[in-house]
Amino acid sequence: MIVDRFSNGFHPFVLPFLIGMIFVLGYCVYGIIRILVQLPRDDRRKFLISLVTPKTAWKNVKDIFLNCLLHVKLWKRNKVLGYMHSSIAFGWFMIILLGHIEVMLFLPHRIRLFYYPIFFNFFVAETESTIQGAVLFFLMDLFLLVILSGIVLAMIKRVRSRWFGMRRTTRASLLDTIGLYSLWAIFPLRLLCESFTAHISGGSFLTLPMNWIFRQFLGNELNYLPTWWAYSIALGVFMTVLPFTRYMHIPAEMMLIPMRNAGLHILHPRKGFARVQFYSCPGCGVCIDACPMSVRKENLKDCTVYLNRQLRRGNEKRIEEISDKCLMCGKCTQVCQVEVDGPQMRLAQRSMRSYGINQHYSKLSAEDHLNRIGTAKVLYFAGCMTHLTPGIRKAVGSVLDKAGISWTMMDPEGGLCCGRPMMLAGRREQAREMARVNREIIRNSGCDILLLSCPICYKIFKDKYNLSGIYVVHHSVFFDELIHSQRLHVSRDEALKLAYHDPCELGRGCGIYDAPRSAVSAVGTLVEAAKNRNESICCGGSLGSLSLSFEKRKDITVNSLNNLKAGDPDMIVTACPLCQSTFGKYSDIPVKDIAQILDSSIRER
Amino acid sequence: MLLNMKEIVLVVGGGIAGLETARELKELGLSPVIVEKSSSLGGHVAQWNCLFPDMTPARKVLEPYESALKDVEIHLETEIASINRLQKGYSVVLSDGAAVPCKAVVFATGFKLFEAEKKEEYGYGVYDRVITNRDLENWFNTGSDSRVPEKPSAIGFVHCVGSRDVKAGNTQCSKVCCITAIKQAIEMKEKFPNAEIYCFYMDLRLFGKKYEDFYINAQKDYGIHFIRGRVSEVSETIDGRVLVKAEDTLVGKPVKVRLDLLVLMAGIVCNKENQQLLQAVSLPVDEDGFFRSKDNIASITESDRDGVFFAGTCTGPKTIPETIAEARSAALNVYNYLKSRR
Repeated sequence: MIVDRFSNGFHPFVLPFLIGMIFVLGYCVYGIIRILVQLPRDDRRKFLISLVTPKTAWKNVKDIFLNCLLHVKLWKRNKVLGYMHSSIAFGWFMIILLGHIEVMLFLPHRIRLFYYPIFFNFFVAETESTIQGAVLFFLMDLFLLVILSGIVLAMIKRVRSRWFGMRRTTRASLLDTIGLYSLWAIFPLRLLCESFTAHISGGSFLTLPMNWIFRQFLGNELNYLPTWWAYSIALGVFMTVLPFTRYMHIPAEMMLIPMRNAGLHILHPRKGFARVQFYSCPGCGVCIDACPMSVRKENLKDCTVYLNRQLRRGNEKRIEEISDKCLMCGKCTQVCQVEVDGPQMRLAQRSMRSYGINQHYSKLSAEDHLNRIGTAKVLYFAGCMTHLTPGIRKAVGSVLDKAGISWTMMDPEGGLCCGRPMMLAGRREQAREMARVNREIIRNSGCDILLLSCPICYKIFKDKYNLSGIYVVHHSVFFDELIHSQRLHVSRDEALKLAYHDPCELGRGCGIYDAPRSAVSAVGTLVEAAKNRNESICCGGSLGSLSLSFEKRKDITVNSLNNLKAGDPDMIVTACPLCQSTFGKYSDIPVKDIAQILDSSIRER
Repeated sequence: MLLNMKEIVLVVGGGIAGLETARELKELGLSPVIVEKSSSLGGHVAQWNCLFPDMTPARKVLEPYESALKDVEIHLETEIASINRLQKGYSVVLSDGAAVPCKAVVFATGFKLFEAEKKEEYGYGVYDRVITNRDLENWFNTGSDSRVPEKPSAIGFVHCVGSRDVKAGNTQCSKVCCITAIKQAIEMKEKFPNAEIYCFYMDLRLFGKKYEDFYINAQKDYGIHFIRGRVSEVSETIDGRVLVKAEDTLVGKPVKVRLDLLVLMAGIVCNKENQQLLQAVSLPVDEDGFFRSKDNIASITESDRDGVFFAGTCTGPKTIPETIAEARSAALNVYNYLKSRR
C-alpha cells in the first residue's frame, strides 16, 4: 500500500518548480493566443477546423508523437543523435505519464495538485509492496536510466560534436547554456533524491541499491531534503529560462505540426505561422553544414538557424541581409528535423520591402503572343534561361521532332517571363500579373501538354498557374515517358559514366528525382554524386539570391562540382539550363542537359 | 662590348612577341633559342588577314622575321618539360629531349582567344550563322567558310565577348576588339556594299593612333550602325537567320535585329595552360590570370625572379605595336641583366 506522508500534501520545496511551471504555461498560453490573433482570418478558421477534423487531428497526434517524442526523422538521419534525443524526450514524457498513473492509481484525491506526480516519491510512503507498485517503480527507474544515458551522450556531444557527424554547430548564448546545464542537472538530481527516499517511498533496481549504498556512509535522512530542493530548483530554472532559449522549440513544435498539417502558408515574416516556425528552431545547426554558402567562411552566418535567431532577437539589419542572400535552394528545410521553412520566411521578408519603382504589367496582353504561335497538342515554353542556352532549346525541339510529336513554341521570339523571378524577389503582385497573361496564352492555345525546360518556370506553372486539364511537364520527365512508351529509341553506351545533378527547383522544389535518372540511364551508366537527390548541392547560379555577387558564387559552384565528380564521371548531366550554364564556366568535364545527351544518342528507326 | 655569342637566352613562344625578342637578342649579340608548341611561327598574327589601322597585311609584318632569324635555333611542336634553376642561369629540358642551358628565359607565351561557345546565349557552335572574329579573318584569308552566306543583307558584330564580363570570369578589357570590329565591319561593307552592318558595343575604346578616325570613317563613309547596348540573346529564325535581341541604351529601348551573319568579338583572355610554366620558376600569376610583372609601370617586362623576363600579351592584352615595343624592351633587359652579371 502507498499512503500520504503529509496530511496537507505540501512542502515549500515544490515552490521553485511551481513558479517555473506556472510561468512557462502562462507564457505558452499567451503565445498561442497571440499567434492565433496574428493569423489572417481565413488561416485561423482553417487551422481551428483542422484541429477538430478527425483525419487531421489523428495526423497531428501521430506526427507529434513520432517527431517530438520519438524523433523518427532524426533516427533515420543519425542513430546516435536519434537515440540521444528520443531517450530524453520520450523518457521524460514516460516519467511524467507514469507519475500521473501512480497518483491516479494510489492517491486519486491528490491529482488536482499538479506537482504531485513530479515529486510523488517525496510525498508518499510504501507500507507494503504491491505488484502494481513494483511494476510502476521498475518502469520509473528504467526510463530514468534511459534518460541518463541520453544525457551522457549529450555531454559527450558537447565536447566532441564531430563524433556525432556534425562539422559545425551554433554557439550557444548565455541563456541557452543556463537552460542546457539546468536540463542536464534535472535527471541526475532526480536519481539522487529518489534514491535518498527509496527506503520510505519504495523504489526499484536503480534507486533501492543506491539508497542502500548511500545509507552506508551518507545518512539519507540528512540529505534527502536539500536534494529534493535542488531537483525542484533545477526544474524551476529550466522552465523559467525556457521561453528565452532554444528549448522553446519543444512547445513550439507541438504547435508547428498542427499548423503545417492544416496547410497554412507563411505570409508575414514575424507574425503568426512564421513566429511558430522560428520558435520551433532547435538551433542545432544542421543547416550550417547543409547550406551551399557554407563553403565560404564569411557566409556561415547566413543560414536558416541564424535567420531564426535574428528573427527572435529582432535584429532588422541582419534579417534583411540573410533574407536577401539566400540562394533559396531549400536544402536547410530538407535536412531540418523540424522542417523549419527558411526559404519561405525569407520570401515573406522580401515581400515586406517597399520599392521606389513598382512596375505594372496590367497592360500586357496575350493576343500579341497568340498570333505568333501555332496550334499543336504540345506547347513548349522555353523561358528566358533556355533562350540563353540555345543548345538545350535546339535539342528539345530535335528530340520532339524525332519522336514525331506535333509541337509548337509558346515563346519563339522570346515570350513573357513566367513570373518566378518576381516571386523569388517577393513581388507577388507583379508575378501574378505575368501569370495572368501567360495563363491566357496557354488556355487559348488549345494545347493539352505544356512542356517546360527550365525547372524554375516549371515550379510556378505547376504550383501557381492553376492549369487543370493541361499536363504541365518538365522535358526530363516527358522524354523519359517517351522512352518508356517506345516513341524514342536511345542507344546506350555502357562505358559512358554520367553523373546526374538534381537541380534544386526540380528535385527539392518539385520532388522529381527518378524520371531524370531513368532518362540518363538510357544513355549511359549513371554514377551518383556524394550528396544527391534531396541533399544535392545548389550549383550556385540560383536566381534566388538577391545579393550574392558572381565572384562569391564561384566557391559554391566549385564545391558542388567536386561533389558531382565523386563517382569519377565522364560528363555531368543536369536538367536545368541555369545549372548547366553555371557549371559550364568552371567544369573541366562537359556539362550537358538531358535533352542534349538524348538528342545525340537517339537511334533512327 | 659585345657579349659572348655562346650566351643562350631561351624564348618561350614563337608569336610576334617571341619573334621580335629573338630578333632583337640576336642583334644584341646573344643566342636566342625559340620554343614554339605549335607547328609554325607567327602565333595569332599569322591567322589574321589585315591589321588596323592601315590595313597592313599580317604576313607583311611577319615576313622580315624569316630572314632575320635564319640561323636561330627554333624548336617547333615543342613544349617545356622542366626548368631548373642553376647558379648562373637555367637548365631547361624540352619535350623533344633537348636540354638547353641558358642564361635567361623570356616568356612570350601570349594569350588565348576567349572560347565563344562559353557564352552560349550568343549561339556560337549552336547556330550556323554565328562566327568569331578569328573565323572571319580565316575566311578573309581562305574564302571558305560555309557559315558565311554568299549575299548577306545584314551583318552584326558583338563587342566584348568574354571580356569585361564578370559572368565569363574575365574583367579585363581586351583593348583590340573595338578597333578590330570596326576594321572587320569596314572590310565586310567593302565586300558587301548593300549589307546593313551593326556593331553592338558597351563602350568604344579607341585609344590608339588613327583609331578614332577609323571609327568616324566607319560611320561617315561606310554607314555602319553603332548600337550602344549589350546583346542579351540570339535565336534562330525559321529561315535560318539569326535574331539578335539587344538593348539600345541611348534610346532606352530594346531592339530586335534579324541578321544573316553574326560575328562575335572574342576577347583576349589568359592562357591557363601556361600558368604552370610560371610555377616551374616559382612565380605567381596575377589576379587576372596573366603573368605578374615586377611592376606595372616601369618594369612590365621584368619578373620578380632573376633571369626571367616577359614580353607581349602573357602579361595582359596588348596591340601588336605595343607587343613589338615590349619585346625589344625585354631583349634590352636581358642584355643589361647579363652584362651586369659578368
